[in-house]
Amino acid sequence: MTRLLIGLSMGLAAMSPAAANSLVSAGPRPNIAGSSFSAAPVDEWNRLSRKDGKNVEIWTRDGDQLNKVTFFGGIPSGKPLVREIDKKRQPLPKVAADMLITDIPVMLESTYRIQYAVSQMDIDSQEPATLGGHKAIRFTYRFAREDDGVRRKGEAIGAFVGGKLYLVTYEAPALYFFDKDVEKYRKLAATLAL
Amino acid sequence: MKITWFLRAACAVAIAATGISAAAQEKTGNKPGFTLAPGTARIVLMRPTIWVGEQSTAGMPEPNADWTTQARENIARALADAQTGLGNVVISYDEDASGEGALVAEYSHLFGAVAESVIEYQFFSGNRLPTKKRKDSFDWGVGNGIAGLKSLEGGDYALFINVHDEYGSTGRKILQIVSMFAPGAGVSSGVHKGHAGLVDLKTGELVWLNADWEMGGDVRTAEGAAKRVRQLLEGFPGRPAEAPAEGE
Repeated sequence: MTRLLIGLSMGLAAMSPAAANSLVSAGPRPNIAGSSFSAAPVDEWNRLSRKDGKNVEIWTRDGDQLNKVTFFGGIPSGKPLVREIDKKRQPLPKVAADMLITDIPVMLESTYRIQYAVSQMDIDSQEPATLGGHKAIRFTYRFAREDDGVRRKGEAIGAFVGGKLYLVTYEAPALYFFDKDVEKYRKLAATLAL
Repeated sequence: MKITWFLRAACAVAIAATGISAAAQEKTGNKPGFTLAPGTARIVLMRPTIWVGEQSTAGMPEPNADWTTQARENIARALADAQTGLGNVVISYDEDASGEGALVAEYSHLFGAVAESVIEYQFFSGNRLPTKKRKDSFDWGVGNGIAGLKSLEGGDYALFINVHDEYGSTGRKILQIVSMFAPGAGVSSGVHKGHAGLVDLKTGELVWLNADWEMGGDVRTAEGAAKRVRQLLEGFPGRPAEAPAEGE
């Protein structure tokens, strides 16, 4: 019965009217993901109306399965990166006050394995960086989801500011799409501010 | 445990809730200006990707190896029957000694992701991406890297086919009935997706796609698989016109 209720509640939640996806034009863009994140993209992007979490915003060029920039804007302590589908059976890791920036890739990996049925995920590289003047970590990764069998590559930069997690990821299929748009993401990431 | 598939399906329901009827959803698209005359092209039929399982009460897909095997055999037979009536030379993909099998399989998966994106962001007109909408075009593809594959040499187009079916469990069917009494909370039972697409082997562009999240035909049976293949190949470019089969 619990599963029945979960299914029904998810169905009801899905019934809320959806707003249209919107254009992100070149130029200054404040308050991304309902946070102090800002950027000044030089290319056009599409901002999805879909919300994967309270402080999560997704931009894409061709659809989030093909190229996806996700802004996690100030996830507070005690909260997961994305909205949990099943808190009881599939709880997600939560941001903790004592986390270090080196914990960010691990948290992303754990979240993906639980939430998106990611069977293979590897963190390929990690290096120190700065995000809006704050100490940050830049890392690259690869993963494959069970549902579509597509190998994807990712690149991300994250930091803790005021105890909250600020993270931006770029992900796309390793075949063709990652290389097609990675420079657009890098140009966007270079303009990030907090 | 394919949560993302569930979320996408939920998203589609939400889109429908905004007033866009299922009937308004497009199912076929092609690159503007693309035509294919009969007898002018060599088409490589790629190995179909087929997944069949059950949909749990909560809407999660659970694989069923027996059903998947049955569907593979049935779809293969139906495609072999349909192959000669497509108006152009259609040959089945052969890896031969190229060693490109894994890479070609990856292209099949990538085609699936592209097709899903076309359904979600082009066929659902209310959900279009502003950058795509403005161009008023059909601008999708898998990249021109496919032109360099030796095992596809001599082909003009690749025909990719994906089938993904989740049959509603008893619990899911009960939930569907219960939801009928909750105003505005329609819950569907079962997922029956299919993609058939032609990719230009010189450019990697998707030039024709027929795709839907609500396809007919029980692929676990020979008759159902034949119906599914007919639906997948409906409007196939270059195919001689034929009278619709009885009962469809």
